[in-house]
Parts: sequence; structure tokens; C-alpha cells
Amino acid sequence: MRSRRGALHTLVGAYVMDAVTGRDRADFERHLPSCEQCQDDVRGLREATAHLAAAAAVPPRPELREQTIRAAERTRQLPPLVPGQPARHGGGVRVHSWLPRLVAGAALALAATAIVLGVHLSTMQARLGALEQRDSAITAILGSHDATTLTAQVRTGGTATVVMSHRARALVFTAHGLTSLPTSKVYELWLMGPAGATPAGMLPSGHHGMSGPVVVNRLAPGDRLGLTVEPSAGTGRPTSAPVVMVALSP
Amino acid sequence: MLGGEPDGGRGIGRPTSADGAHGGGAPDRGQSVPAGRSLELVLADVAKGDHAAFGAVYDQTAPAVLGTIRRVLRDPAQSEEVMQEVLLEVWRTAARFDPSVGSASAWIMTLAHRRAVDRVRSEQRAAARELRAATATIDYDEVSDAALTTLEQERVRRCLGGLTDLQRESVTLAYYGGHSYREVAQLLGVAVGTVKTRMRDGLIRLRDCLGVEW
Repeated sequence: MRSRRGALHTLVGAYVMDAVTGRDRADFERHLPSCEQCQDDVRGLREATAHLAAAAAVPPRPELREQTIRAAERTRQLPPLVPGQPARHGGGVRVHSWLPRLVAGAALALAATAIVLGVHLSTMQARLGALEQRDSAITAILGSHDATTLTAQVRTGGTATVVMSHRARALVFTAHGLTSLPTSKVYELWLMGPAGATPAGMLPSGHHGMSGPVVVNRLAPGDRLGLTVEPSAGTGRPTSAPVVMVALSP
Repeated sequence: MLGGEPDGGRGIGRPTSADGAHGGGAPDRGQSVPAGRSLELVLADVAKGDHAAFGAVYDQTAPAVLGTIRRVLRDPAQSEEVMQEVLLEVWRTAARFDPSVGSASAWIMTLAHRRAVDRVRSEQRAAARELRAATATIDYDEVSDAALTTLEQERVRRCLGGLTDLQRESVTLAYYGGHSYREVAQLLGVAVGTVKTRMRDGLIRLRDCLGVEW
């Protein structure tokens, strides 16, 4: 046991350089919270790697500055973590709290509707169960180590946000400020791969201008995610040009 | 809370003579990322949605972020894209930055390096193997080949020069090459256990040489 811990501790250098993968990394990260010395070393050695980064500095093309700041202006910021919810170091596990909250909000809204409309209880339970399942899928994607966030402008107005895990081959799609549609139309997501388009879900309209979230699984290399406006009766394939298209491959 | 001194002092081999690392950017440090408090404070403004503060964070960190990513990824266009993703992530998660676990620049550079390495690894799985061949020959002399040579680069170069060959190669192949320690062991033809300790000892020596305070 002692030697196993010692062996894990030796990994600290490789770990701060992101040179530890797979099971080794999981083992080390499990060990880390209980090892003050390791945390201390991680902290100190990360400062050293920051100097390695600074020594590699190259000036970005000037136009990138404006682009990046403009993209930030269109991107909603995460609220701070409230006390009692431990922050993780170095942007490791990214805990995004707003999406699960959105899901919880949707579940509540659904429950409220059920009471008002007197929808049959078992139907409601099935729907809430599905929501819960989706909630845990969302949490898994957002919490994954390789979670990547992409944002894109929607041609007809609004911003699309995709949080994707390549490892899980899954993503969470949300949009903000989409142009509202007549009841005969819906926003629909498609995975557009080399083999054609497969439906990836209708976009539920949320609250405060938020739409989604929609979980899309089984991503394949080369897939792109497209959002189109479709008749609400449904369609087997996209009938209009995408209002936003997100390339998923790195 | 922000700007509080890191709660350190437990680490073995912690340099006691180091000063100024969090002293608001002493001029002789010559870092392209100003040390300590100032970036942390600017980041606190970013967390409140301050666009101008975000511009300042960009100015202070984008060159190092881009440079690091480019070392790992090599492809200039892809590197710019990842740099923008990283800066956007900083904007998005600024309120989650915890100064008690390290400096703001360490936080941002960790994000950048990890993002670049993740990108390489997912590409490797997609069989882009030529990247590895290209990065396998990285030399620490490249530390000085960037367009701007700053005091910081000089200092890091000097400190890297103070490592043993195996320590230096292990560190540069992992950090600038984006290789896992197992790959580094393979590339250098040494045992995995040896590479692990060389990486750790090399970084400790580097940290002490740089007089990093943490």
C-alpha cells in the first residue's frame, strides 16, 4: 500500500505536464485529495510549467484579439461556485452548474403543468424519469476531462453552445436568444456525417431565452451538428438549410 | 478572497529565499505574464463581466497560451483556434478561479496545455501519427526560437540548461511535445519508472532555479 502510494506520488511531475493518461491519471486524481504533499507539489510544479509556457510565447495575429473579445461578449459566464461546493484545481473537472439547473427547472415546469392539466401520473413519471436520465448524461458530459465548449452564432439570430466530450462521443447542445418560431415550426438538430443526416432531436424551448438542453450521443468522426427549422409535425431529413453548423472534429 | 497569499510552506525543498513572485511584477522578472497579484485582480474583474479586463487578460496571456499550444499542436491555424477556445474558457469560468490553489497564470497555462494535449490525443486516436514523428525531435534550443526573446525566455533556457540531459529531455518531450510519460520512455529508450522520476526531479529543479513562489 505504501509503495503504491509512493509510486503514485512520483507521478506528480508527469501529471502537471498532462503526461499521465487513462487509468494512471484516474488513480492519481483519486489519490490527490487525500495527499497534502501531492497537492503542494502540484501547486509548485504548475507554477514551473507556467514559466515553460511563458518561455514559448509568440504574438498572436492582431485580428484574433478583436475576434476573441467579441466571442466573449456573446458567451455567458458561469457563476462562482457557492461555498460547500469544492473548487477543483487547474480547470480540471469543469463543473457547470447552470445546465443541470436548467434541467431541474424543466422538470419542475413539467410537474407544474401536470397538476394544471391533470395529465395521467404514470405518463408524467415516465417523462420525469427520462429527464432524470438525461440530467445524469448531461452531468457526465460536462464533468468529463475532455469537455470542450464551442459556441457559434445562429444565422437567424441567437447563439448556440455545444459542450462535447470526445471520449464519451457525446455532446450537450443549448441555444440562447433564438428567433421564436410559429407553432407550425420547430428547431431540429441533425448529425451530418459522410453518410448523410440523422435526426438528433428537437430543440425544446426553455425559459429566459434558453433552448435545450439536448443530449446527442454516438458521435462519429467527421460528424457535424446542424440546426434547421422544420415543420413541427416532424420530418425524416432536413428540409431547409442549417441556421447553424458546428464542426465537431478537432 | 482574491489576491490572498497562497497557503504554502509545506512543500519539501521549498525555496526560502524566493521573493517577489507575487509582489506585483518586479521589473527584473521579465515575464510575459506579469506575476502574481495583478493578473489575479484583473481576473476578478473578468469574473464580473468586465470586457476591458478580459482584453487585459488577453494581452497578458494570449502569447504564452498560443505559443504553448503551437509547440504541442504544430498546426498554426488549429493552434489559433484552440487559443481562442482557451481564452473563451477563461472568460466563461473566471468566477471559478480559486487563487488558493495557484496563480492565475498557472491556471490559464494549465487550461491551455491540457486543451492542446487533449486535441493531440484525440487526433492520435484518429491516426494522425505524423504529428508524433514531428514532435519527437523537439530540442530545448527551440525555447529561444520564438519571435520575441524575453528575459523570461532567457531565464527558462538557462534553468533548463541546468537539468541533466535526461531530465531536460523528459520535461521538454512531455511539455512541449505533448507526449505521455510512457511515450517519452519509449522515445528515450528508458524505463517508465525512470522517466517518471526524471520528470518530477527536473520540474523541481526548474522550479527552484526559477525561484517560483507558490
